[in-house]
Amino acid sequence: MNLTFFRNKQYIWRDWIASYLFLLPALAFFSIFVAYPMLKGIYISFFSYTLRDFDFIGFDNYQHLFQDETFGKSMWNTMLIVLIAVPVVVIFSLYVAMMIYQKSEGIRSLFRGIFYLPAVSSVVSITVVWASIYHTNYGILNYLTSLFGMEPINWLGDTRTALLAIIAVLITTSVGQPIILYVASLGNIPKSYIEAAQMDRANSWQIFKNILWPMLMPTNLYIIVITTINTFQVFAIIQLLTSGGPMYATSTVMYGVYEQAFKLGNFGIAAAMGVILAIVIGAISFIQFKYLGSDVEY
Amino acid sequence: MIAVKKRITGFISVLLMVSMIAACSPNQEGGTSTPNSGEKGNTAEKPADTNKPVEITWWNFPTYQALDGEVGKYEKQLIEAFNQKHPEIKVNLEMITYDGGPEKLNVAIATNSAPDVIYDAPGRIIDWAKKDLLAPLDDMVTDEIKNDIAPAFWKQSVVDETIYMYPINTAPFMMAVNKTVFEKIGALDLLPLDKPDRTWTFDEYKKALEAVKEKAPDVIPSGFYAKSQAGDQGTRGYLANLGISRFLNEEGSAVAINTKEAGAALDWLVQAEKDGLVISGSASLAAADVNDLFLQGKLAFSINYSAVLRAQNAPLKQAEFEDVLLPYPTLDGSEPKLEPYLGGMAIFNNDDEAKITASKTFIDFVANDPEWGKKSLIQTGGLSVRNSITGLYDDSEYEYSELARKFVTDPPTIADGYAEVRTFWFPELQRALLGAASGEEALNTFATKANEAITKAKAATAK
Repeated sequence: MNLTFFRNKQYIWRDWIASYLFLLPALAFFSIFVAYPMLKGIYISFFSYTLRDFDFIGFDNYQHLFQDETFGKSMWNTMLIVLIAVPVVVIFSLYVAMMIYQKSEGIRSLFRGIFYLPAVSSVVSITVVWASIYHTNYGILNYLTSLFGMEPINWLGDTRTALLAIIAVLITTSVGQPIILYVASLGNIPKSYIEAAQMDRANSWQIFKNILWPMLMPTNLYIIVITTINTFQVFAIIQLLTSGGPMYATSTVMYGVYEQAFKLGNFGIAAAMGVILAIVIGAISFIQFKYLGSDVEY
Repeated sequence: MIAVKKRITGFISVLLMVSMIAACSPNQEGGTSTPNSGEKGNTAEKPADTNKPVEITWWNFPTYQALDGEVGKYEKQLIEAFNQKHPEIKVNLEMITYDGGPEKLNVAIATNSAPDVIYDAPGRIIDWAKKDLLAPLDDMVTDEIKNDIAPAFWKQSVVDETIYMYPINTAPFMMAVNKTVFEKIGALDLLPLDKPDRTWTFDEYKKALEAVKEKAPDVIPSGFYAKSQAGDQGTRGYLANLGISRFLNEEGSAVAINTKEAGAALDWLVQAEKDGLVISGSASLAAADVNDLFLQGKLAFSINYSAVLRAQNAPLKQAEFEDVLLPYPTLDGSEPKLEPYLGGMAIFNNDDEAKITASKTFIDFVANDPEWGKKSLIQTGGLSVRNSITGLYDDSEYEYSELARKFVTDPPTIADGYAEVRTFWFPELQRALLGAASGEEALNTFATKANEAITKAKAATAK
């Protein structure tokens, strides 16, 4: 008999059990707090789930949403916010990181602190400050524009400016983390690559395009995916500044989920909105992974 | 030796498990005890858990004015006083806010964790009653109480003649004016304060606004808002009276505010904003923003006020001025129609008779205790719904509030689907305020959407 075979199998079995035991807490946490609510959400989306009823209605909630003008408007606003905010956040954070990564550690820390402050502060506090900045009658923004002879603008109450005002706040609260990540990634790129390029008389743009940018691709992917997902889920800023108004100009899918579920008690419709949002985010993340994925390691 | 150790460990483990299961058992909750079953001193003859108090949970909005600046302090005192008379009932208090409270309640109801008792208004309570979520309160109401409360209040407390809300306090919603501003600019005569019922016309009101604009440039004449649902009764009352119309018809079955006159009133508001008679940017302001400006002395008129709000706002004033209640002006000087604020208590039917009985005992104490009933009423800053209870306050504005009860009209809160109806109101106001539609167009669009919601909700209720 080959005893070594059984002994090896015993060891493999023991390792297998040990590894799954280590995984168990995380797996349990994931199952209870992520997987179960997610599956339950999908399940609820097929029901007329209100404070009174719980009836199976198949795809009626989805059908209702696709015929609902307000949902269409919310989806459009959400996409618009993502399309504007994500590139601005990425480009601005990269720009700031490039500006400061070659500076001394003291300067880097100072800038990191300044830009990271909104990321660690409460979104509610920052939004309240912005509400006073945007105030039509007493806001500092209108005071500044009045210095140039401009009439007061109703930043949050005008359909032409409300969404942009929301995006501006979103950007200020979103750039902190990407800046930190970019500065860290830039710091990890071996200096010898840059020095070699400089010896070959490469200019700054060529160094950025051919060395820094490709080597930042893993960070880019992470930042773009995370910023996109977070932007899709923007809620508190909208709730506090405009409540989705004026005339649904700043209403987003996430805000719609809140309104349907918690204000109106239409949990089935809210769940269906959540499922649609998850599908959209999933599809966009997949595309981002496919086209921005990189094998670069350093 | 090892085997003995194993046996002892096993025994202890089983013992611990059994005790844990026993501790978690619902029988420990004392669910079968009744409010009056808690006699002391005879525990030997009864099962151990019958002397345990029945626990009920009371979720309360800031219905009572904060005592010593502490929200919930008065409620705790009230519970303490209740427990002196009813030690067999334990009341767990949870304070909720008007901002997030309604959402929290919706989630609690949907997850079967609703509180037992709530102090709220008919807008939500009757909606819950129509969804079969509440316990009937008919056995709490004697003929004496029934006859002492006006039918208008009962109309807001019942569904199909079954009582679901125990009405307690009230006050008509109206406007307020910063009287001090008018005194300072020597224009007090422009306010209708010399009339006992203080009624006035749109033209008189407009003159008052123009006087503020001209003589007190640092004060904004009046405010309007359309950002979020809170305080929508102010905008409804203001527009309906300026347009001599009603928000809903008398049966509460359809929108009635989409008249030419109300449309014209909305158009006037848009123009008044441009003329500086109404605060600019009203489409993006909430009721709280406008009232904050009023409390800071920066606004001459507030359109969302009542005796209750006046009492609650008193400690929040950031400027010294006298605020006086006024009815909404009407286009032709006819009698105004004021929506009533009505506060009362309701019981969620959480399938536990003991808790329902205990909750009724608690509500009875809050509303009718000879000492705490009156005290609590005053703490709300409101008037009593009972005709027999008057003269609670020594204050001219309360006297006026009592008088203004004659202008009270049906509130739209009792309409089927009201929760959804109100979601269409502000977006349409915003459309008019931003010039995307005329007043009449906006009101017509609102009417179409709201009527659909009412019909849909009626059908659902009839199911």
